[in-house]
Amino acid sequence: MSEDRKQSDPIMQWVTFCLGDEKYGINVMQVQEVLRITEIAPVPGAPSYVLGIINLRGNVVTVIDTRNRFGLPSKEPDDAARVVIIETDKHIIGILVDSVAEVVEMRASEIETAPNVGNEENSKYIQGVTSRDNKLLILVDLNRFLSEDEKAELDMF
Amino acid sequence: MRQTKPPQQQIVQQKLALDAYLSTLLDEVPEAVPSDERAGVVTKPLEKAVEPAVQQVIATQPLQNERVAFEKPVKLHPLSVMPDWAQHEFQALFFKVEHLILAAPLTDLSRTIKIDRKPGKIPGQPSWFLGLLDENDSRIGVLDTGQLIFGKLRGSQRDLEANPFKSILITQDKRWGLACDEILSIGKLKPDKVRWRTSRQKKPWLIGTVIEELTAIIDLQELVPHRKRKT
Repeated sequence: MSEDRKQSDPIMQWVTFCLGDEKYGINVMQVQEVLRITEIAPVPGAPSYVLGIINLRGNVVTVIDTRNRFGLPSKEPDDAARVVIIETDKHIIGILVDSVAEVVEMRASEIETAPNVGNEENSKYIQGVTSRDNKLLILVDLNRFLSEDEKAELDMF
Repeated sequence: MRQTKPPQQQIVQQKLALDAYLSTLLDEVPEAVPSDERAGVVTKPLEKAVEPAVQQVIATQPLQNERVAFEKPVKLHPLSVMPDWAQHEFQALFFKVEHLILAAPLTDLSRTIKIDRKPGKIPGQPSWFLGLLDENDSRIGVLDTGQLIFGKLRGSQRDLEANPFKSILITQDKRWGLACDEILSIGKLKPDKVRWRTSRQKKPWLIGTVIEELTAIIDLQELVPHRKRKT
């Protein structure tokens, strides 16, 4: 492979997870660890997308209800459910997903911009879409997953 | 033909006179169309549609000042609302959404497919956007035609799990798919068998109605959203 292509069309790795019928990908560089579901303590007065907090080796980490965030119906977590600990703009948060699938590699050129047909605010965290095994893979921009105000609010929990 | 204006409709200012002149020129555009393209009733709605322009520009009473006169912009939208395909006999695909039969010009369509899998739902999109479907090297944004046509209130009452759409009409550019219940047939439509809308300020996607069958003719270019690119 030429050096030019490496630079102009870099290979990126994505951790994929499932929510309902859809598969999503997040940048592997922002994933710190993947946990089995543990006790999540609810936080009084927290926004609806916050499930609660967990104690991660002495650190309090807020867990986001990803289904709620994506406008999907809620589902009771089962054995396959995982909390993916991610770092976004120096904030450590957990996102609850139905299951974690795999790590996939893809070139930047394989990613197509997602259509933005509605309110830009609602879908700004969708980085793009691509196909994997004849199925749509939706790539999430974790840096836009929460707004600055929301991140600041999470720090107060 | 221009009619003699009554005394109270005299043009009172030079700029207004210029506007009126330009409007009149625009009014006369249909007459400049080659005669073979003006066959049938197509010209009728066009002629009808142009009538408000001059009336809005010409002062019916002496104007107090020029500024007031220009605060009301003149809207001209008769000729521009007619797509090219509406000028001649055209082929249309008839399809059904709920109990409504609609027609779309074949020139705006690429193909139709049966829905054999669910479109991939993208978070944060409006409810009328059903998701993305990969089909023959194209990624198609699938739209809930019911919601687009009937409006969100009525269209969104449909339970898509229990009563899913069966087919998709794919647009010519292969970017959009209109979900529907049934593909019915292809037929030829003569312009004089259609009652064309003369104004499309509201529901711009509704271009006319087939008089005999009372079937709504849809302008797909106006119905599909314009995909925005993120900056």
